[in-house]
Amino acid sequence: MAEITLVEAVDLALAYEMQADPSVVILGEDIAKNGGVFRATQGLLDKFGPDRVRDTPLAESMIGGLAIGMAIEGLKPVAEFQFMGFLYPALDQIINHAARIRNRTRGHLSCPVVFRAPFGSGIHAPEHHSESTEALLAHIPGLRVVIPSSPVRAYGLLLASIRDPDPVIFLEPSRLYRFAKQEVEDNGKALPLDKCFTLREGKDITLVTWGAMIKETMAAAEVIVKEGIDVEIIDVATLKPLDMETILSSVEKTGRCVIIHEAPKTGGVGADISAQIAEKALLSLKAPVMRITGYDTIVPYARLEKYYIPSVPQIVDAIKKTMEFA
Amino acid sequence: MIFNLPDLGEGLAEAEIREWYVKQGDIVKVDQKLLSVETAKAVVDVPSPEAGKIVKLYGNKGDFIKTGAPLVEFEGDNGSVVGKLEASSHVLKEDNVIIGARKNENEFIKVLPAIRALAKQLNIDLNLVKPTGSHGEITEEDVRKSQGSDALHGVRRFMAEAMSYAHQEIAAVTLMDDANITHLSGNADITVAIFQALIHAIKKEPALNAWYDSKTKTRILQHDIHLGLAIDTEEGLFVPVLKDTHQKDAKALRSEIDVFKKSVRDRTVSPNDLKGATITISNFGMFAGRYATPMIVPPQVAILGCGQIRKEVKVVEDKMAICRVAPLSLTFDHRVVTGGEASRFLAAVIHYLESAHD
Repeated sequence: MAEITLVEAVDLALAYEMQADPSVVILGEDIAKNGGVFRATQGLLDKFGPDRVRDTPLAESMIGGLAIGMAIEGLKPVAEFQFMGFLYPALDQIINHAARIRNRTRGHLSCPVVFRAPFGSGIHAPEHHSESTEALLAHIPGLRVVIPSSPVRAYGLLLASIRDPDPVIFLEPSRLYRFAKQEVEDNGKALPLDKCFTLREGKDITLVTWGAMIKETMAAAEVIVKEGIDVEIIDVATLKPLDMETILSSVEKTGRCVIIHEAPKTGGVGADISAQIAEKALLSLKAPVMRITGYDTIVPYARLEKYYIPSVPQIVDAIKKTMEFA
Repeated sequence: MIFNLPDLGEGLAEAEIREWYVKQGDIVKVDQKLLSVETAKAVVDVPSPEAGKIVKLYGNKGDFIKTGAPLVEFEGDNGSVVGKLEASSHVLKEDNVIIGARKNENEFIKVLPAIRALAKQLNIDLNLVKPTGSHGEITEEDVRKSQGSDALHGVRRFMAEAMSYAHQEIAAVTLMDDANITHLSGNADITVAIFQALIHAIKKEPALNAWYDSKTKTRILQHDIHLGLAIDTEEGLFVPVLKDTHQKDAKALRSEIDVFKKSVRDRTVSPNDLKGATITISNFGMFAGRYATPMIVPPQVAILGCGQIRKEVKVVEDKMAICRVAPLSLTFDHRVVTGGEASRFLAAVIHYLESAHD
């Protein structure tokens, strides 16, 4: 077992599944010869050859359409968009075709495609390399939206996404790509989709988060646990469909919840989680459900980036306010 | 990552290495000068595009490097990223990750936030409330019903402590008798009359206006008469103290009683007004009750209770007569006060009331 980073885990999962399943192909801008903008596909061209590892022109709508066509015809394409901000030209393909092929053909055809894209800020890149618009995709019926937050989950959830018979948007938090190493066993075992991962059990308050914000949330937990507050941390992992069962069962236990996400507050997935808690767990609530999120602004350039990303003190403060609520 | 010679802004195809400022193995910062190159037009310093360890330098002094050709290789291949990724040697340990929902073993209290707030306001422990709501939740009615069974707090708690202490401490004996107040008109201020009777009786028999310290077994006779007046409220028993009553006339006493009744009801009575009684009066007969065994609060040694004033047939000068009667109950601490003292005291009270005028 090797200690690898999240981006290496993506590479490892792709290599495993390409080896195991000859219908898996990968495509995207600079993913073959160059190994991908973040090197998530490094070495795959040498291993699997140019028929299965394809560089594409700089045309995202085409990447979307090409991958959908491949998927409908029996391949299992994994297409990369260099950044989430470059995915938008392909939205028509994704929303109008990938998401509804199964429905439109009354189940005759399916679209087992995975669209991968790095996302999120904190890497000192321009704004269209830094945004978190996962809610946009989670809103679309027919799409799965999966976000890993550790090398282990990147490996296991990407395998599950490739094996899933329907389209999956697999969003990789670029801030976590090389943040930490973790032991990952290259055994081809997938992790379940549509399930939350409880990273820490606690009885006083539930922290719900995903993607790169796991990092700040864990750090905030470390601070607050020293003050005697026993936090439970849930990594949502699959934003669509949402595993509300796990979140509700935790909130019923703790009676308190803070949702943390990097994306802007308005219309964020946090709003939906909060609304569902209000609908289904109101009788358990001891305090209002709080959201700590990015601002309703464009992600600022590098120097101001740290003020945009929800900080550890912000999260700690929200936890305290929630705990002190009458 | 490999750093290629950038276009130095002049559209030139190549540049000559003049001098390396760094060597293989060096750790450099962003913007640190790597080398100087000479183009056809100028000598230019080339800054490092990233922080990191230098693995390889491409070319030596005097070599010509083509624009876009490799110049420096940094350790680790982090991709041709716009921006900067944090790379760390941090090792992630995630123990006991739970996948999916776990059924809660315990039943949790279900209650609407507004009712939860109500319970908090009423100081009710929701763990002790039985839920009757259709979703198994605690309703407002459940909370209100359990109000009586909560732990004592505030004035009631104090009452419980004080009475319990008094009961353990004091050797209480209660004398009961009646005062015939037929001659007083229906408008007479009986409460003030009893106050004045008490003040009169203390002058005749000072032993009951005293404090007793049981630890040192010391009795301190009090020269001033500070009268405690027991007032019953929903929240519990309050005993404000009328100071120096021996120096006050009936009018002053009545107005002071009225002020205290109001300040007790609206809870503005100050803690100082509740201290320092040398003897206490309790008018307990508002609804029912003829005689009682009133409790003395240490360090006092006596309390006089007055029950419900009633009409009664009495023998007056060997004839039956319908009289108005005030039933009196005097409790005294027999450790400090003798039966004789108490009896003389009560006789003085009765005598005063029976000879008083409106």
